[in-house]
Amino acid sequence: MRKLFKLFVVVVLAVAPTILAAYPARAENTLDRILKEKKIRVAIDVANPPFGILDSSGQPDGSDVAVARQMAKDLGVELEFVQVPSTGRIPSLLAGRADVTIASISITADRAKTVMFCNPDGALLIVILGPKSLAIAAPADLAGKRIGITRATLEEATVPKMAPQGTNIVWFDEIGATIQALVSGQVDAVALTSFAGSAVASANPGKQIETKLIVTTAYYAPIVRPGDFELRQWINTWIFLNTQNGTLAALYKKYTGVNLPPLPVF
Amino acid sequence: MNYAFRFNVVWDHFPELMNGALLTIELSATAMAMGLGLAVLCAYGKSAGPRPVRWLLAGYVELIRNTPFLVQIFIFYFSLPMIGIRLTANSAALAAMTINLGAYASEILRAGIEAVPRGQVEAARALGLRRLQIFRSIIIFPALKAVYPALTSQFILVMLSSSVVSTISAVELTAVTNSLQSTTFRSFEFYFVAMGLYFAMSLGFRASLSVIYWAAFERSR
Repeated sequence: MRKLFKLFVVVVLAVAPTILAAYPARAENTLDRILKEKKIRVAIDVANPPFGILDSSGQPDGSDVAVARQMAKDLGVELEFVQVPSTGRIPSLLAGRADVTIASISITADRAKTVMFCNPDGALLIVILGPKSLAIAAPADLAGKRIGITRATLEEATVPKMAPQGTNIVWFDEIGATIQALVSGQVDAVALTSFAGSAVASANPGKQIETKLIVTTAYYAPIVRPGDFELRQWINTWIFLNTQNGTLAALYKKYTGVNLPPLPVF
Repeated sequence: MNYAFRFNVVWDHFPELMNGALLTIELSATAMAMGLGLAVLCAYGKSAGPRPVRWLLAGYVELIRNTPFLVQIFIFYFSLPMIGIRLTANSAALAAMTINLGAYASEILRAGIEAVPRGQVEAARALGLRRLQIFRSIIIFPALKAVYPALTSQFILVMLSSSVVSTISAVELTAVTNSLQSTTFRSFEFYFVAMGLYFAMSLGFRASLSVIYWAAFERSR
């Protein structure tokens, strides 16, 4: 019995320093942890063309995904994708499932109460899209129409504000469902990014889908958890460098087919 | 983890959550009643119908029990309009829930029907009771009583799986919760409260179903 106790003491003495060493005196920030583990976890939404999609072999692709890949490469760490639906882009970051979310999240004052935005790495247009036969020329024409929008997107933050009384707004959880609702005629029109809009229009030539209204232009940016200033500063530095050397513009052009407008910083 | 909970945001929006919960209750209760009716019809068709009807019913039960509920909902909402049947989100959800529950409940009922002793059915036949009379008084009533606990569990499952219908824009509790969390960004708070509401609804349904059991099977003794 005493032998066993001695053995126990020896084991505790041998193990204790390693356990203590695991807790550094200074609280470790997210950037330190990423560099130490040599791995960054990036939340992406692959149901949001052309920013995030799955390619024909089921691998993530799109402009957000390309930005994440280049960023991880320049940071010199392994990249782990955390695929989330559009409603999960902020919660998964806050829950610590990802270190940063790069999913074309438009900068809004409301969102900034909960997460920290980096500098914008792209811009998008929100439009109202409908079949040619549908008469919508001004926001007032939305009254009485069924307009499909996706939860947790910029459409949700902007369209209800411009829509007149009597507009019937129909909410979907995913952009795919919103598009499907337009194609199957469950809604009269939908709000989407202009890029998703042109993809839908060209994929359904028989429906004669066209842009009806421009709702807003928005800049989108990577987001990090509140307090992750070191990580945010590194990402801002990366965005600065890659705006200067043209990498961001090239990636944007490759996936959206249009030129990247000048990106403001804050 | 230094997350500051702010539940006051949830209480500000509580009436909206209650509206969502109300639709969940409406959809679930209607689907339970209609699904059980469908299951009894299927059970009758299976025990007394001609062979093609029995095959058709077996096909229906297997098709529904071996495909995901989410896909069934999508078919009702997104695919039926292609052939000219346009259901609103709520009707599509209700139809999918009813048809789904009908398949599962008819399998549960089958177990109950098989547990009815053959001798009783033969005795009823010898006494000159007609097919429908035998089915009603000798088979389905004791069968329902025997499988009632299993049916109750299936009913509760239907109520819980109704959370999926938010994907086709039906504004039930999960849809309201998702909208609120995505505009206020207080996802933990809203999901916690939604969980509590679902739990309360489960308990409420269980209690109501127990009362129905008592009224249908116990009171007459």
